[in-house]
Amino acid sequence: MILTIFKKDLKLFFADKKGALLTFALPILLISLFAFAFGGVGGKSTAKPVQLLVVDNDFTKDSKEVLSNLDALKGVKTISEEKTTAIDLVKKGKYVAVLIVEKGFKDSVALGKTLPLELKYDAAREIEMGMLQSVLIQNLMSSVGKKMISSKMEASFDTNFPGTPKNIKEKAMSLMNSDKGGVNSMMGENTMGLQMTSVIKEDTKKGNLGLIQAVAGTAIMMLLFSIAGIGGGLLDEKEAGTLKRLLYSPVKPTDVLFGKMLAALVISILQLTIMFVFSWMVFGLPIFKDITSLVLMIIATAFAVSSFGIFLVSIAKSRQQLQGYSTIIIMLMSAIGGSMIPLFVMPEIMQQIAVISVNYWGIQGFYDIFWRSLPLTEILPKMGVLVAIGLSMTIISVRLFKKNVLKMI
Amino acid sequence: MIQVTNLSKSFDELQAVKNLSFSIKKGEIFGLLGPNGAGKSTTINMMSTILSSDDGAILIDGNDIKKTPTICKTLIGVVPQEISLYDEFTAYENLLFWGELYKIPSKELKNRIATILELIGLSDRKNDLIKTYSGGMKRRINIASAILHNPKVLFMDEPTVGVDPQSRNRIFEIVESLNSQGMTIVYTTHYMEEVERLCNRIAIIDDGKIVAQGTQTELQKESNVKETIEITFQTIASNQVAILKEAFPSLIQNNQSITVACDANKDLSTIISICNTAKLQIEDLKLNKVNLETIFLNLTGKQLRD
Repeated sequence: MILTIFKKDLKLFFADKKGALLTFALPILLISLFAFAFGGVGGKSTAKPVQLLVVDNDFTKDSKEVLSNLDALKGVKTISEEKTTAIDLVKKGKYVAVLIVEKGFKDSVALGKTLPLELKYDAAREIEMGMLQSVLIQNLMSSVGKKMISSKMEASFDTNFPGTPKNIKEKAMSLMNSDKGGVNSMMGENTMGLQMTSVIKEDTKKGNLGLIQAVAGTAIMMLLFSIAGIGGGLLDEKEAGTLKRLLYSPVKPTDVLFGKMLAALVISILQLTIMFVFSWMVFGLPIFKDITSLVLMIIATAFAVSSFGIFLVSIAKSRQQLQGYSTIIIMLMSAIGGSMIPLFVMPEIMQQIAVISVNYWGIQGFYDIFWRSLPLTEILPKMGVLVAIGLSMTIISVRLFKKNVLKMI
Repeated sequence: MIQVTNLSKSFDELQAVKNLSFSIKKGEIFGLLGPNGAGKSTTINMMSTILSSDDGAILIDGNDIKKTPTICKTLIGVVPQEISLYDEFTAYENLLFWGELYKIPSKELKNRIATILELIGLSDRKNDLIKTYSGGMKRRINIASAILHNPKVLFMDEPTVGVDPQSRNRIFEIVESLNSQGMTIVYTTHYMEEVERLCNRIAIIDDGKIVAQGTQTELQKESNVKETIEITFQTIASNQVAILKEAFPSLIQNNQSITVACDANKDLSTIISICNTAKLQIEDLKLNKVNLETIFLNLTGKQLRD
C-alpha cells in the first residue's frame, strides 16, 4: 500500500514538469549565487586576498624575509607604507590592519626575545582579522620561529653548560637542529597546531570553504522548502477529497503518510545528489573524495529534512497555514543553523544555539567530509543525530496527522 | 445486506445523527432523501468506516464495521460527493491507482478497467488527462473509481451534483446497470426526481432523524397526502367561495386562487361544474400530484431544497 501511494506521489510530482524543474533549478541557481558570493568557485575564481599594510622600521634581512613570505601567501597581499600614513588608512577603514615591524626585530630573533611587532587593526572587521591573525602567526613561526628557538637553546646551553668545548657544543646544537626530535620536528608540531585555525591555508589544500558553505547551506535550506511543498500535497489531497477517498479503501491512514514521506525522501535524495553533482561539474567540489560518507550523509540529511517537512505539514490545517509556518520556521532554522550565514562568523552563543537546527547537523556533516576530511567513523555521530531527528519528527508527524488532518475529513 | 441500529453521532454541541435505524436488502437501491444538513453524509461516512459513531451498530453483509473495518472496506465502494480524482493523471491512470489499492491482480484489474470504461462510455477518452474532462465525464470516472473491486454495496453521495441533464441520465443508466448486476446501492440526494426514478425504498431523513421510510406508495399512505387542484379565477367574491366550500370544506383560498385537496380523477368534473354554477371564470388550473416533495413537506414542514 505504501509503495502504491509512494509511486502515485512520485508520479504526481513529476507530472508537474515546471514544478519539478523548479525544485532542482532554483537550488542550483542559489548555490551558484552563494558560491560566487562566498568566493567559493574553486579552481576557477579565487576570493579577493586580504590587503595588509606593512611598515618595516627594522629594514634588515630577517624583517624583509618575514614580510616577503607574508606577501607570497595566496590569501594575503602586503602593501608597504610609512607608519603614520598606514595607521591613518586603517583608521579610515581603507585597510583591515597594519603590521609594524619595529627596529630591533633582527636582534630579538637572534636573542630569542619577544618580537617588536605590532598589529593595529580595524575592530569593525573582526572576521578578516581572525583569518589574518592566524595566517600571521603561522607565517612568523615558519619564518623566524626556528631561529628564535635555536637562539634560546644556545643561550640556555651556554648558561647551563659553561666552558663546553666549541666542537662538542656545535655537535649538540646540530643534533638539536635535526629533524629527529630537534627544533625542526618541534616546528612541525607548531605548524600543525596553527593549521587548526588557518582557514586560508586549508583552503588552498583541500577545496574551498565558501563553496562547501554555499552548497551544503543552500542545499539544506532549499530542500526544506521543497519538502514542505511536496508534503503540502497532502493538504491538497484533503481539499480535493482524494485523501477521503484513500481512506475509503483498505489503506491505513498511516500508510498515506508514510507513502508521502517515502516520496519526499526519494525526491530529497535526488535533489541533494543533483546539487552535489552540479557543484562538482561546475565548481569542482571534490565529491568523490569520500563517496561512502557523502552518500550516507545525503541519505541521513534527506531523511531528517523530509521528516521535518512532513512535520510542518502535520501542524498545518491548510495550505495557507503551511506556507506561513514553513516560511517562518525554515528561515529561522536556516539562519540559526548556518545555511544563510556561515556558523564560524557567528558569536559563540549563536553557535551553541545552532545545534537545535536540522541545518546545523547537515552542514557540519558536509564540512566534516569536504573540509575537515574526517573519516566516516567520526562523521557517523552527526549522521546519527540526523537520523534521530528524522525518527522523532516521524513519530510526532504520525500523531499530529491523526489529530489535525484526519479529524477534519 | 446492511443493518443500521440506533446510530448516533455528535460534533461538539451538534447532534448530527439521532438514533437512526434502518435495514437495506440485497439488490436494493435505497434512497436517503433529505435537505442539506439533514445528516445524510454523516450517515454515509459512518457506514463507509471513515467516521466512527458515538453509539449504535452497523453491519455490512453480517460484518460489524467497528470490529472488522478492513473486511467491510472491501465489501463497499464509495462515490463521494466531490470529484476525488487526480487531475494530472489520465482516466486510465486514475483507475489503475484506485484499483491497485484493493490489491486486484494486475491482469484482472486491467480487464476490469476496460469493462467499466465501456460501461460508462469513456473508453475512447481513457488516455486523456482528467483535467481536460467535462464535469459530467469526471462524475462518471468518479463512479468508475468506486466499483473497480466489484463491491457488494455502493454508496453514492449526491453523485449528480452540478452535471447537465444528459450526463445525469447517463449516470442513472450506470446506476441501473450496476443494480441489475446485483449491486446493492445506497443513494443519497436532495433531488426527489432521482429517488423517484431510481430507488426501490426510501428513508426520509431530517434533522438527523428518519421521519419515514418505505416504498413511495407506503410513504404516500403513511403521510396521508392527497392530490390538490389549484384554480386561479379572474375574480372571486366571498359568496362564490362559500358555494365552493359547501362542496369542498377543506378548500384554501389564496387571493384569486383556491386549492382543493381531492382525488383529481373523481372530483375534477364536479369542481368545474360548481365553478360554472357560481359563475366563476377560470383563468388557470393546475393539478398537483402527490410526490416525494409534497410528502416531505407534509412530514417535515420544510422544502427539500431549503
